[in-house]
Amino acid sequence: MTRGAHGNDPLRPYDSGTMGWTRREATHLLWRTQFGASKADIDNALAAGLERAVERLVTSQPESQSFQRSDHLLRQVAEDTGNILDLKAWWINRMLHSANPLVERMSLFWHSHFATSDVKVRSVRHMAAQNDLIRGEALGSFSALLSGMARDVAMLIWLDGNANRKRHANENFAREVMELFALDVGHYSERDISEAARAFTGWHVRNDRFWFNRRQHDFGQKTVLGRTGDLDGEDVIALCLAQPACPRFLARKLLHAFVTIVPREEDVGALASSIRRHDFHMAPVLRQLLLSQLFFSPSARHALIKSPTDFVLGAYRSTKSSENLRQTARVLARLGQDLFAPPTVKGWEGGRLWISSSSLLQRTNFVADLVADHVVPINSEPKRPERLVQYYIDLLLSGRADETASDRLVQYVEEGARKPGARTRGLLHLIMTMPEYQLM
Amino acid sequence: MSITRRNFLQRMGAAGIVSLGAAPPRFLRQAAYAAAIEGKASNGRILVMIQLAGGNDGLNTVIPYGDPEYRRARPGIGIGEGSVLRIDDYLGLHPQMEGLKQLYDDGVLGIVQGVGYPNPDRSHFRSMDIWQSARPESERTEVGWLGRCLDLNVERHAGTVPAIALGTDQVPLSLVSSKFNVPTLRDISDYELRLGPGSQADRQARRGLMSQLATGESVPGSNLDYLRRTQAGALAMSDRLKAVAAIYRPTTDYPQNELARRLKSVVQLIAGELGTRIFFLSLGGFDTHAQQAAAHRALLTEFSSAVAAFHRDLKGHGLQDRVLLVSFSEFGRRVQENGSLGTDHGAASQMFVVSPTGKGGLFGAHPSLTDLSQGDLKYHTDFRSVYATILDNWLGVTSQTVLGGKFPTIDFV
Repeated sequence: MTRGAHGNDPLRPYDSGTMGWTRREATHLLWRTQFGASKADIDNALAAGLERAVERLVTSQPESQSFQRSDHLLRQVAEDTGNILDLKAWWINRMLHSANPLVERMSLFWHSHFATSDVKVRSVRHMAAQNDLIRGEALGSFSALLSGMARDVAMLIWLDGNANRKRHANENFAREVMELFALDVGHYSERDISEAARAFTGWHVRNDRFWFNRRQHDFGQKTVLGRTGDLDGEDVIALCLAQPACPRFLARKLLHAFVTIVPREEDVGALASSIRRHDFHMAPVLRQLLLSQLFFSPSARHALIKSPTDFVLGAYRSTKSSENLRQTARVLARLGQDLFAPPTVKGWEGGRLWISSSSLLQRTNFVADLVADHVVPINSEPKRPERLVQYYIDLLLSGRADETASDRLVQYVEEGARKPGARTRGLLHLIMTMPEYQLM
Repeated sequence: MSITRRNFLQRMGAAGIVSLGAAPPRFLRQAAYAAAIEGKASNGRILVMIQLAGGNDGLNTVIPYGDPEYRRARPGIGIGEGSVLRIDDYLGLHPQMEGLKQLYDDGVLGIVQGVGYPNPDRSHFRSMDIWQSARPESERTEVGWLGRCLDLNVERHAGTVPAIALGTDQVPLSLVSSKFNVPTLRDISDYELRLGPGSQADRQARRGLMSQLATGESVPGSNLDYLRRTQAGALAMSDRLKAVAAIYRPTTDYPQNELARRLKSVVQLIAGELGTRIFFLSLGGFDTHAQQAAAHRALLTEFSSAVAAFHRDLKGHGLQDRVLLVSFSEFGRRVQENGSLGTDHGAASQMFVVSPTGKGGLFGAHPSLTDLSQGDLKYHTDFRSVYATILDNWLGVTSQTVLGGKFPTIDFV
């Protein structure tokens, strides 16, 4: 690669030596790769340095004994009760406590991408199995994930696989593969859909398992995306992956999730090339992205609106609150991110769509409830009002509050004869309901 | 100044002024002033849009039971002459739609038949985007048709809550505006602000600070700007809705379903004179690819019974002349049923209107069941004609500006 090309490459490495690796960069990295960041998390990442912090995220870390126990127990409870709320609780526990937070983050990313809802599937077992499939490839191979999804029981139920028969091809799955899973609108024709649907005929569910129903499979000749032959579902998937639109589609979605909702075309192109070069393996792609100049560029800082999981789990982490997992699942649903029940096959679109005056008020009320139960670690916080306010502005807003706002907060802390605990609770309530706190 | 504008300002006077965050105070003063000099009578016109999400099977909703082709295409899920609610010798309503049949007999229910648009798209999302943006030709659709309607009248709406989406997770594209953050409510009680524990003085101090902290210099159009405006709007709405909730009493029994509950909230908000002109509701689940009969029956029961109760309650409050209700769906479904007792994505279908001016009835002929386009009904009425009617004849907004073209209006209002 020539020097000039390297200089223009948006994915060239961020030089933390000259550009800085401070609490702000560490906070930026952690908020986007796990669910919130405690003071200790930030201290650890800072000490490790950028490269090691990223390496820990993209490689598998051993889970603690206690996590393994709680994970196993919660999963068992969900499968025994058959109540989807318990499965939500199981997942939330993983998001909060797994030593591999980026795996959970990417699992949530793929859950939204392959949006399947228990509202129709109605089975904890199948939803859990799909979640396992996703988690197994969360940082792995997208092509394996796509193939797995085409045979996934929950997905087949969700998109009416059993209705896709030789003489009555059902287009639901084929359409979503092209429109939502691999290519996006505009990169296929209606004819491609109806022909691809024939290729997936007979991909059914029997006895709660994937079953290739030969008698209902159409072995005839089909033409999909310019290729003609006796194509089956696996061929259609391979044809989709080979389209230039596929890595671009994924690149755009990854940029939305990790960098900015308005990526530049050259950034999409660069990340798409990386995806193609790494043959759709996500860990090396994410490593490159998280270490890049683009990821730390000024336009990426505080550019994302927190999703409900970011907001709620992040608030727990920042305040070191203990959480009620089932209650948390209900709160997330109220805020618009009901796990295992995305609103449509398009998943959660996110960005500004998370925010309406109604959802914002719900977020505000969540903070009021959280802070009410909050036991303040009084010993570790500064006493002087200016210092106290700055301490929490640094921790919760990554230092981002204008002077007027911090003056107002200092004034609040100084006025009124409140006990230290009540004073801190009031301050947390005010900071965490500031519009700035919605950004990360 | 048009009649509608004057009426609207009058209504704002009655509603009181609700701050919408960053809306310039100048507008507020103007609007309040105009309202004050134009009197207090309140007869502002209101639009209620109901989205039947997923693609309603229009053929099993307004049923051409008299057509042999219908029986041939629907051997498994067809609904026969014996059970339809007869409109005439050819058409009948789905048997569960007694509520709507009554409104039809009363002359207030209009059925606009054969509605669609050129080159129909069979993707839920694309087609829904087309309906909600009213721009079939445009790939990127960021502002909705009702949002554009709001944008054209910033001054008129400044300081009010011009539109509300009820029961949707997100702001529907129809209402996405470049100037207003249209709120979404799950329930009126969603807007109750909690402040947590603390003395009365402390709670008051924090409530005041919250509003102050939601203001400040921010780049127009930035995320922070958007969040601040939304936060300020949310806090103001919360104050206003608290007052509204105390006034309303229903005048009829509502059925026990979600849509009814939401429509009841709409009456409550109208009766409370909130000043909102546009309400948007969504009923989902119409994507009936398999085993359609039971699901479709339940959905139409909910739709019909809820709309009927809504109309009764409006009448009870003397509000029926002020409210136009319109339903739409992203597409109808294929004429031929599929192999799993369901139907796949189709094209043209009907729209329902509940007319505030008593202009019900059938509008346009039922599309032919033999002259099809790729197995789907052909449209003869562009949906933008229905929108043009709503805009020109009801909301008093020039449809050409909103729709980017001239579409003939229909005589349902």
